[in-house]
Amino acid sequence: MKSVTFGQYYPAESLIHRLDPRTKVLLALFYIVCTFLCKSLVSFAALVASVCVLVLLSRIPMRLILRSLRPILFIIAFTSLINVFMTKGEHLLTPENWAVKIYAEGLWNALFMILRIMVLIVGTGIFLTYTTTPIALTDALEQLLSPLKKIKVPVHDFAMMMTIALRFIPTLTEETEKIMNAQKARGADFTSGSLLARAKALVPILVPLFVSAFNRAFDLASAMECRCYHGGEGRTRLNVLRYRAIDWVMMGAVIALGVTLILLNSCSFGFVLG
Amino acid sequence: MSNSYIHAEGLCFSYRDNDGKEEHPALKGVSVDIYEGEYVAVLGHNGSGKSTFAKLLNMILEPTGGTLVVGGMELTGKELTDDELLQLRRNVGMVFQNPDNQLVATIVEEDVAFGPENLGVPQPELRKRVEDAIAAVGMTSYAHHEPHRLSGGQKQRIAIAGIIAMMPKCIIFDESTAMLDPNGRKEVLDTIRLLNRDYGITVINITHYMNEAAEADRIIVMNDGLVLMEGTPDEVFAKREELVAVGLEVPQCAALIHELRRRGVLLEGTGISTPEACVELLQRALKART
Amino acid sequence: MDKIYLENVSYIYGEGTPFEQTALDGVSIGIRAGCITGIIGHTGSGKSTMMQLLNGLAAPTSGKVLLDGYDVNTTFEDVFDAWKSLPEYQNLSKSAAKKAIRTEIRRRRKELCFRVGLVMQYPEYQLFEETVYRDIAFGPQNMGLSEEEIRARVLEAAAFTGVDTDWLEKSPFDLSGGQKRRVALAGVIAMRPEVLVLDEPAAGLDPRGRDYIFDGIKRYQRETGSTVLIVSHSMEDMARYSDDVIVMANAKVLMHGPCEEVFSRIRELSDIGLDIPQITRVMTMLKEQGFPVSEEIYTVDAAVEELYRLLVKGKGGNAT
Repeated sequence: MKSVTFGQYYPAESLIHRLDPRTKVLLALFYIVCTFLCKSLVSFAALVASVCVLVLLSRIPMRLILRSLRPILFIIAFTSLINVFMTKGEHLLTPENWAVKIYAEGLWNALFMILRIMVLIVGTGIFLTYTTTPIALTDALEQLLSPLKKIKVPVHDFAMMMTIALRFIPTLTEETEKIMNAQKARGADFTSGSLLARAKALVPILVPLFVSAFNRAFDLASAMECRCYHGGEGRTRLNVLRYRAIDWVMMGAVIALGVTLILLNSCSFGFVLG
Repeated sequence: MSNSYIHAEGLCFSYRDNDGKEEHPALKGVSVDIYEGEYVAVLGHNGSGKSTFAKLLNMILEPTGGTLVVGGMELTGKELTDDELLQLRRNVGMVFQNPDNQLVATIVEEDVAFGPENLGVPQPELRKRVEDAIAAVGMTSYAHHEPHRLSGGQKQRIAIAGIIAMMPKCIIFDESTAMLDPNGRKEVLDTIRLLNRDYGITVINITHYMNEAAEADRIIVMNDGLVLMEGTPDEVFAKREELVAVGLEVPQCAALIHELRRRGVLLEGTGISTPEACVELLQRALKART
Repeated sequence: MDKIYLENVSYIYGEGTPFEQTALDGVSIGIRAGCITGIIGHTGSGKSTMMQLLNGLAAPTSGKVLLDGYDVNTTFEDVFDAWKSLPEYQNLSKSAAKKAIRTEIRRRRKELCFRVGLVMQYPEYQLFEETVYRDIAFGPQNMGLSEEEIRARVLEAAAFTGVDTDWLEKSPFDLSGGQKRRVALAGVIAMRPEVLVLDEPAAGLDPRGRDYIFDGIKRYQRETGSTVLIVSHSMEDMARYSDDVIVMANAKVLMHGPCEEVFSRIRELSDIGLDIPQITRVMTMLKEQGFPVSEEIYTVDAAVEELYRLLVKGKGGNAT
């Protein structure tokens, strides 16, 4: 359990891994915008090409990326079916007398929808979850949102909570396993019986887990006080995030991509979304 | 050594029940002095008040009676300002028992930086302090590791580095070795000794391991919320019966000398708390008789 | 016959991942019935893994764990082979038969937990009930015993471990650390296991708390004739309480035998970096100074005898 990294972070040395996490948050946002800018077949082709380039740049194995798409297959299938059957257009593909009518526009819509969802998931994944540790993301969000501090949004406090949660996830996972083993050794059974019996069987795990989590929380609070924690005011940072040339280059590249996609929309080869 | 860094007189503390009605006295008037640069061990069984005492020294708990002066700052008899509290806590650091419950960050160097960051130490001094502190506990090659993958002893050394980075005058170890295996315990004890000897930091080690206490300059034995005795390890471990009566024991080498003496063997000397001293004493006796 | 026998047991963590780690490497060892056996070794030497194998919480990657000569890990085939000739079984439909076998495997696993009681490190974390009584009763309840039987067992276990009858109606969370530990120990002893396995039972306790726990374990072993295994770092504690000792290093058994025999090889123990008793260090240093003392001493009593003999004999020699 200890050895499993939570989240989807894939450790590697790549251009994308090295980007400033704030850049990556912004890039992910730009990229989402890009997927919505596409309207024509040509611009969608360019978008798909760009996501392929990103996959190559990030050095993340293709099987990992495909695996991350598995949970959303149902959503993709469902929305594309709705698109296929519900879109009305001019080019009817099914015979006139069929109850179900499928139009060419519906098929195109479905295809574009599938591409859009997949590129969106893969693209944001590459910028955020695959190449950025959760803790770096937290840092990035804290710094990006820091202007909100002026209107009394407790940005630092949320970031601190997030950091502590991330720090304790492995500890508590291990602890849960330990407690489960201890209760199993006393004959507790978590796998058989009715739903109610199973829910009841969780009490011997949850009570000790909560007790221990509270004790840990008290200890940690004392330890933080001992280390002079007093909120975000007047704090300095060991690792200050700094934009480097590559960050600006990447942002420029993605903005250029967006512009290109808009231009390509006017290229009337194939189907163009209305 | 002559300057008292911590001065406590008649120090009292009571825990309140959850309903706030009943009071449970944990400290019933503790008077001790701890001097600058000293290495003091506080011995006592669980519930003797030794951990409570430690938590009063940097005001994690507030005393309910008595006087407490730390580093020339009067802590009792008035409300402390936030600045005074920060000042106190940067001077008197504390390392706790469970290594998992005191590490805040997910990267070693960021955890060590937590204290100085809170104090607002600017760059590049911040970076230097962090690097020096990690080097002092011998963990430089682990600076970018995740703490939860380290061994207990290593985690505890990181916790110590986090305190050193605040450049304290005094560090309290609140049973910091209790959850460690023998190797981890040795790592931490070596670090403690180094801090005391090479950095001149005043050390207070709260423990129930006799062998650990034997390393200190002075031992304070607590029982039932009071100081039972204090003195050098040799002086304290000479009183075996009194220690046993309060649920403690003496190190094996001291027990050996006690038992031989009880059987009427004449052994001269007072060094009984470490194997080295004990051997010297036995050696003298053996030489005299052969 | 050996109560427990490990037959060429290996255990590998995270097999096939980059984190693969061999915790036990072809271990074959027998554990004598009715004795206290201490298992010592470094963290990561495989000793904690070994104890999880004994009650089926983990199954060996290869090899067998035998309890009274029977494999503790029941497989589907084992039950099938035992049942296939029975008419009751043959009358079942295919799916019902499968289900029956699975239920049987689960039953056997549970039964194993009751026969081999496991006390984990810092067991006080497992307490959850509203009262000490009910917490100790959790194991016996899972065994499906009657109320009177449960009551008898709780009281018996409380007596073994020095749990005050006054505490029984208290919340376990109101007790001190050492007291909680005793309650947790009672919770396992209440199942009256034939084999009691403990991981560092005295970790973090003060001398008095440690003595309570070890005395309780010893009392249980002596009065019920159970087999006890204690995983520990402390040679001092093991020298005091165990009959046999197993020394583990690098996923293998390095030494195994009666306490005196193993601890007499103190040099080797020290060489693999175990924390040898302070008293042994005193004797070794004396020996190095040229005094005719035995180095193979690991208890204070033995050291007293040895030195007393030398010092008094030396005196006698001078007189004549």
